[in-house]
Order: sequence, then C-alpha cells, then structure tokens
Amino acid sequence: MGINEKFIPIRKGLLEFLLLKIIDANQVYVADILQELSGTEFATQEGTLYPLLSKMRREELVDYVWKESEAGPPRKYYSLTVKGREQLRETSDYWQKISGTVKTLGQK
Amino acid sequence: MNKVTTVNLNGNAYQLEESGYDALRDYLDHAARQLDGNPDRDEIITDIEQAVAEKFRAALGAFKTVVSAREVEKIIQEMGPVQDATAGNGEAGATGSGPHDATTPGGGPGAAAAATGPGTAKRLYKINEGAMISGVCNGLAAYFHVDVTIVRVLFTLLTFIWGAGLLVYFLMAFIVPTASTPGEKAAAQGGPATAQEFIHRAKAGYYEGMKTFHDKQAHREWKRRFKREMRGWKYNFQREMSDSAHQWQQNWSHHWGQHPRYFVGLGFTLFILKMVKLLCFGFGAYAVYSLVTTGAVFGVALPAGIPVWIGVVFLIVLYHFLTWPLKAMLHSYYYTGTPPYGACRAVAGPLDGLVWLGFIVVLVWLGDHYVPQVHEALQQLPPAIHQAVADLKQWWARQ
Repeated sequence: MGINEKFIPIRKGLLEFLLLKIIDANQVYVADILQELSGTEFATQEGTLYPLLSKMRREELVDYVWKESEAGPPRKYYSLTVKGREQLRETSDYWQKISGTVKTLGQK
Repeated sequence: MNKVTTVNLNGNAYQLEESGYDALRDYLDHAARQLDGNPDRDEIITDIEQAVAEKFRAALGAFKTVVSAREVEKIIQEMGPVQDATAGNGEAGATGSGPHDATTPGGGPGAAAAATGPGTAKRLYKINEGAMISGVCNGLAAYFHVDVTIVRVLFTLLTFIWGAGLLVYFLMAFIVPTASTPGEKAAAQGGPATAQEFIHRAKAGYYEGMKTFHDKQAHREWKRRFKREMRGWKYNFQREMSDSAHQWQQNWSHHWGQHPRYFVGLGFTLFILKMVKLLCFGFGAYAVYSLVTTGAVFGVALPAGIPVWIGVVFLIVLYHFLTWPLKAMLHSYYYTGTPPYGACRAVAGPLDGLVWLGFIVVLVWLGDHYVPQVHEALQQLPPAIHQAVADLKQWWARQ
C-alpha cells in the first residue's frame, strides 16, 4: 500500500475544508473548483463533488445562485453562508493546530 | 456505421451512438442507486446530467453532431463514480476506489480505470437499495450487469414451473450475504465484469497454469488434463442428471403404476379429468388477469401495501398447490404402460379422441343455439367453414 492510498481517507476528509477555502475566495461554479483542484493532490471529479456540495448546502455552509453563462444554460455559482465562514475559521484554526503538532512532535 | 439515439439532458437534445447511450444510462442509474435515500438525490442527478451535457457540448462542433461511444466513455471516466457524501462517510475512503488519485491530476481516464480495475473482484451480494423483497434480484442484476426488471421477470416465469423460481429465490435470500459495508457494495457492483468475465477468468486460470510449465511435454500434458477434467465434469453432471431423472421416473411409476387398471370408460375418465384441469387453468388464468387489470380476484381485493406481482406469484403457487392431486391422477393414467394395459391404451387413445371430438361438437352446437354471440360469430366465419357448419347441422338434424 503506497503513501498515496494510505492518505485517501485524509484527503477525502480534507476536501470539505478545501471547498470552503476555494468558495470563500471567489464565487465559483463546479468547473472552477475542479480546475483549481486539478494539479494538486486533491484532484477530484464531478461524481464526488456534486454530492459533497449538496451535503454542504443542506448543512447550510454554502448557498448558490443561478447565473447566466455566455454559452449554454445557467450555472450554479456557490458562495459561503455566515455559518460556512464560521466553519471555515474554526477548521482553519484546527488545521493550524494539527499541522503545528505534526511539525513539532518528536523534536527535541 | 452506428445507430444513433437522441437523449434529453436538462432540456437539451444530444445525439449519441447507441452503445454510448447504454453506457451513459448505466452510469446515471448507478449514480441514482448510490444516492438512494439522499434527500437531494434528484438535484444531484440533475447537476450531473448538466455537467455531462456541458462536456458533450465541448465535444461537438459545427460539423460534428453526434457524440461517439468512445467520447461518452471518456466523459464518464472524467466524471468519476458518484459517491454519496452523507452515507458511510468514514468507511467510503477505505474501499480504495476513491477517485482522488494524485498521480493522475484532473482525474484522467487512468484514475477511473484504477478505481474499477481488476483490484476490485466482483462478488454476489444482496443489494438492499431499491430492493423489493430482500435484494436478491438486485444483486443478481448488478452481478450479471443486466436490468433488474429482467431478473424479476425471469424469477416470476420460473415460478410457473413447479414454483422453482420461488424456491431458488428463498434459498438465495438465506444463503447470499447482504452487501452492507461500502467495500462489499463496491464488490457487489463490481468493475466492468459481466457474465463474459467468468469465461474470461476460467480461461485466464487455464493459461496461468500453462505458464508454470516450461517444456513442451508438460504443456501438452496440462492441456490434456485440463480438457479431460472439463469433459469429465460435464459427463458427470449429465450422468447425475439423467440418473436422478430416471430415479424419479421409476419412483413415480412404481408408486402410481400399481393400482390403475384399464377399465371401460378410461377415455371418459381421462376426459373428465382433463376438463376439470382445463377449467382450473381457466379459473387461474382469469384470476391472474383480473388481478392485474382490476387489482381484485373474484371481488377480493389485494390488501393495501402488497404489490400486485406478489399477488400474482401467490396465485400461481396456489394454483399449483390446488391442482397437484389432479395432475398426479392424470400422471397415474399416463404412466401405466406395463404390458397388460399396453393393448388397452391403444384402444383408449382413439376412444379418448372421439370423446373429445364429440364434446367439441356438442359445445359448438349448444353455443350456436343458446348464445347469440356465438351464433353471430359462427355466421361471420369464412364461407367454407360456414358450409361445414351447415353440413354438420344437416347431419345432426338427420339423426
């Protein structure tokens, strides 16, 4: 089992955090998110993203508006809700703590 | 040259090659199954259809109006398998079939191929999502990669043959495990395996064996042994089947062949038995018909909440159960070919036929006389038959 497979659950768990970050920076639609994640370790696919976004919307972390596109039908543009921003802040803090622990643990 | 199907994705029409259409429908069906129980299921499916449509648009141009099967496959792989984010969140990653394959950024074809590669072996499970009773049919459908309706119809049809389908169903319901963890569910749906895959695997096993030998002599020996084993298996199976069939036949004739004896009027008895059986069959068929069309049998409605098809299966089983003694009696007459009665049966046959013919004539005559509809129908028969009926009438009148 390679390092890549070992980290599957962790990457999966972090995906929501990353979505919060991406959506917080810009009002985006799914293709933008995929674009931004592609090339990173978190590259993902529509099949995963849509269910996750709909779950986050149900938890009132994100919301979307329909916007016309130059070509084709209107698209869903996602943005963070107040609750979503709150969650992002909490998760960021927690992440800082975790990565601090990872860095410092074992050092003498 | 390939046949083309038009699909409607979120209000826009796209033309796909037919095999591409099948692949897309499978993908969307699978997605819907995965999201079963998710309150946003329809919305997610719509989103996914929309995304597929967008990719189709990118693949089409002014002089390209049809999406090829290969393009559809590629797009489906780009989309990746749909996974429910709410159900089994913790375990889902453990299946190792997640599309987050960092070595192929953007989730290219490699990622999806790895997800459904030979690593995930296909197993037979019961699948509860979208099941009607216990998920046996669902699991079989996923296993053999056919529509679940076909499996259900097959089981219902098998039930007609002495309830065989029902027996097999209940056995499987007990024996086959239910797919409960995401890993098992993935194995139940499996990779691209079909029934074809089995033959493929058997062959692979054969060649795997081949590889372990180096010299030609051993090669040949292995080939010979493999073939002999296959043949031996086939032969054994056939012999067992014929043996047990023989055994059954013997039991049957031994048990029933004792007391029946030819007596005057055997043809008549047979005829009455056959009539009763025909009547039973008529009743059974009518009961099924009225159940399907009106939801009630002879005024007795199906209890609420029980699907019609269960009612139909119940009726079929009931029919077999009720007519069983009748069938046994008929069999007892047919399987008494031992010498003393052999000669009598030669007489019984034509006699039987005569009785039948007489009965039909009487029936037609009665109908013609007492049922106006039958009379009218007879009048409208082609002239030749009409003539025959007239002749028959004349002959009858002369008697």
